[in-house]
Amino acid sequence: MYGLEAISTHNGWAMAVAGVIIVFCGLVVLSSTIAQFHKILRLLNGGATDSQNGKDLRWADGTEGAPASDPTMKHKLAESTRQFRLVSDRIGEPFPLPKLIERAELSGLFRPHSTINDLLKAGLIVPDGKGYFFWKQ
Amino acid sequence: MELFFQFLSNTGYYLADYRQIIMIVVGSFFLYLGTAKKYEPLLLVPIGFGVLVGNVPFFKGFGLGIYESNSVLHYLYFGVTSGLYPSIVFLGLGAMTDFSSLLARPSLMLLGAAAQMGIFFTLLSALALGYLPKEAASIAIIGGADGPTSIFLCAKLAPHLIGPVAIAAYSYMALIPVIQPPIMRLLTSREERLIRMPELREVSKQELVIFPVAAVLLCCFLAPASIPLLGMFFFGNFLKECGVTERLAQTARTAIIDTATILLGLTVGASTQGDVFLTPKSVGIFILGAVAFSIATGSGVIFAKIMNLFLKEKINPLLGAAGVSAVPGSAREVHLVGQAEDPENFLLMHAMACNSSGVIGSAICAGILWSFMVVL
Repeated sequence: MYGLEAISTHNGWAMAVAGVIIVFCGLVVLSSTIAQFHKILRLLNGGATDSQNGKDLRWADGTEGAPASDPTMKHKLAESTRQFRLVSDRIGEPFPLPKLIERAELSGLFRPHSTINDLLKAGLIVPDGKGYFFWKQ
Repeated sequence: MELFFQFLSNTGYYLADYRQIIMIVVGSFFLYLGTAKKYEPLLLVPIGFGVLVGNVPFFKGFGLGIYESNSVLHYLYFGVTSGLYPSIVFLGLGAMTDFSSLLARPSLMLLGAAAQMGIFFTLLSALALGYLPKEAASIAIIGGADGPTSIFLCAKLAPHLIGPVAIAAYSYMALIPVIQPPIMRLLTSREERLIRMPELREVSKQELVIFPVAAVLLCCFLAPASIPLLGMFFFGNFLKECGVTERLAQTARTAIIDTATILLGLTVGASTQGDVFLTPKSVGIFILGAVAFSIATGSGVIFAKIMNLFLKEKINPLLGAAGVSAVPGSAREVHLVGQAEDPENFLLMHAMACNSSGVIGSAICAGILWSFMVVL
């Protein structure tokens, strides 16, 4: 059996419509829920601002992003900084991130996307506002 | 002398037929794409090598082939047919995924839902072409552009199609730089591609910790059949974000996912034995897979344009193309197409938000399709 007849016989139209509706409803409910997270958390934290929440709830030493209080993580970041600085030295500052990732991949560095994300979060690489990045001195 | 001729008649050179030679060429091509072109090497290299291993001719009954019940490859293949490897891959993916961009702008999640349209359109197309419902559902999920999800659903609904479905899904994931950019450019104007996205707000640690818990409950209550994928995915993410299990998260996103990827790729590749793989059905699966992937990309872009009709602050419609769950390939393509128009336009983090919602969306779709097929 082929064509529209096959679709109707196997209940294809109903499955497609119901499927689209269910997946949309699911993700709409999820996105609406997470859109309220920061508002609910702000209420629970007595009206503190988002950024205050972020700092209060991140790490005890008040630093943003990576758990710098964790000595292993501190060591990892320091090591990553050293390796990526070597790579970025060849490009010069300021450098575009895709170029840094490309060079890092060529140099065989481990998971460059994730490491650069950690460096950005830790504020070790900062944007220059024009689409390029440089090392925070 | 007789012994020598008997030995010769048992060698691969003597037993080879043209279908195995074709598959060995295909496997070598995958290895070339993975190594020389660097197209998804972590996937194409194990699969390509698996295709070579699976298509070495052998004497049936020796317990060597992947479809022979007492072979080593068959035991390894159990991880595919049982859905074990895809679940483990999802655990690692969860431990790698950073949801902060999605939490900062939850509305981008809708693009992840829109890109799943390709799945349901392909379901209809496959039914129209005469595939049985379970086969049609297994082919349709290729539109989600998620290899592990495709393999998981196919293992549950149409295990005889795992080889072609997996190869199609991973091939199209590897060919993202070829398939997606023309569709993105075709469906958007230059002005639209130039739209810059506002900087994302800072997301607190608490939000990141609560998200996987809330998401697993919401998604799995809606589509319980997606528990093996989404349960593991959000568990991996919780390990990463909770702050007290960094060692477990580190293992999940390195050793565990790498082991599962190697075994998954190798056994899926080995399952593509020429005599069972080279059939008209496989050709149909490849064509439908390409249609599914293209429609998924297009529907995401078109939905972003529709959203722009109602939004005060316009979003760059290219982001819709990242609604498929090929992480991070499609996000990177969106970023590159945006940068081709404006080198200072940084879309990567926004595209990652759509990409990660695409992973959730396609896993929900797999759960929905599985539930539908159980009812049938």
